[in-house]
Amino acid sequence: MSSEPEDLRKWRLPRGRHGLPREIVTRSQRERLLAAVVRVIAAKGYESTTVADILEEAGVGRESFYELFDGKRQCMLTAHSLLVDDLETRVKAAYTGSGPWEDRLRDGLAVTLQWFASSPDIGRFTLVELSAIGPASLERFQADFTRFVNLMEEGRGEEVPRPELPQATSLAVSATLACVYEEVVHERTAELPSLLPELTFELLVPFVGEEAARAQEQRAAAIE
Amino acid sequence: MQKQSSSETLPNVLKLTVPSDIGVQSQSERMIDAMIASCAEKTYSETTIGDVVRGASISRTTFYKRFPDKRSCFDAALDHGIELVASTAAASRSSDDSPPEAVRKAAGAVLELLASQPDLARLLAVEAVAVDPAISGRYRALLLPAVEGLWNGDRPTEPRTSPSLAFGRGQLLIFNQVAAGRAEDLPDLLPEVVYLALAPFAGHQEALQQSRQVDEDSQPQPATPS
Repeated sequence: MSSEPEDLRKWRLPRGRHGLPREIVTRSQRERLLAAVVRVIAAKGYESTTVADILEEAGVGRESFYELFDGKRQCMLTAHSLLVDDLETRVKAAYTGSGPWEDRLRDGLAVTLQWFASSPDIGRFTLVELSAIGPASLERFQADFTRFVNLMEEGRGEEVPRPELPQATSLAVSATLACVYEEVVHERTAELPSLLPELTFELLVPFVGEEAARAQEQRAAAIE
Repeated sequence: MQKQSSSETLPNVLKLTVPSDIGVQSQSERMIDAMIASCAEKTYSETTIGDVVRGASISRTTFYKRFPDKRSCFDAALDHGIELVASTAAASRSSDDSPPEAVRKAAGAVLELLASQPDLARLLAVEAVAVDPAISGRYRALLLPAVEGLWNGDRPTEPRTSPSLAFGRGQLLIFNQVAAGRAEDLPDLLPEVVYLALAPFAGHQEALQQSRQVDEDSQPQPATPS
């Protein structure tokens, strides 16, 4: 579970009567619960996590929990959506815009790696533990995957040659995801940003060929 | 998965004459088949030992004689699937194939196998990952040395890109296809799979060339009388 109980205390509103409007209290309870469900599930696994664990981690009462969520599963899926939305927003900001496509792709990739490296919990929570919720996780995973494939397609300028491999974009998203997944499983997420040059190469090769991709790899290494 | 054991279709009289160890063998197979079918229908986590027992038409006692719990039955199903994939890949090629030819044939044969047995494909590509996130490590440990070994000595340099990453990408492509319920279309992924398997060792150009070859292999095929 959380190694910094002190931080959690900070989340806690003062006990007893506090003059805060109910709406704000509820919102902060919701935020605390969502942060807690990520931490607890990343630490204990979805199956072994109970609502009581989430409540304890968040410092929120059972009644408040059930006012906000149907149960563990919905709480988890809400947190999952928020996290994926957040990643998408950040990648979009880095990737879409002006400048050479290769540079923007590298920047989008860098943001992704940094995002997963920022906390070991989010990768385990969004990628590994998702599958524990059963068949619904597959649809969710595919929907998330498609979002990033579409994002990459949309940001690809006219000047970029069409890749010969029909599923080159899926291959690129797969490369990123496979790499992140691997580092998550081996608890090495902190090292993800150092993989930027290699991944930049892998993503670009099917689009621009080996030579141009190698040049971008070297630029990525220099930036790092 | 299709029932492979033929014992069910034999008249009961004949069954009794089958040596007892063969009976045990086929019961195990039936339990494995039932596990695969049930996982495909309702996932591993929803599958109960009762489902396996019913699906295999055996008694609960028989189940526990062979497996201590649900997970060990699942693991046996997984082993069965991995062996089948490995033997299919091995049987698909001849020893004088060039490495790229061998990769094309083996990848094609394995994708065809998985397409013809969607339940098994689901077990290997989707359920196994959910049950044991470390399963990818086992697949990789089997597959990478096999692919790399094809080049034995022919390959002048170190891998140009990470074979391990290529494996992860291929696994995800297959996962996506199977998870979407389109296991029967897995052979469509052959160009990408061939590309991924070859690029780390042969480079982008050669890998692309070989993935093109896949289309040429499959296109001019004259209609064979069935």
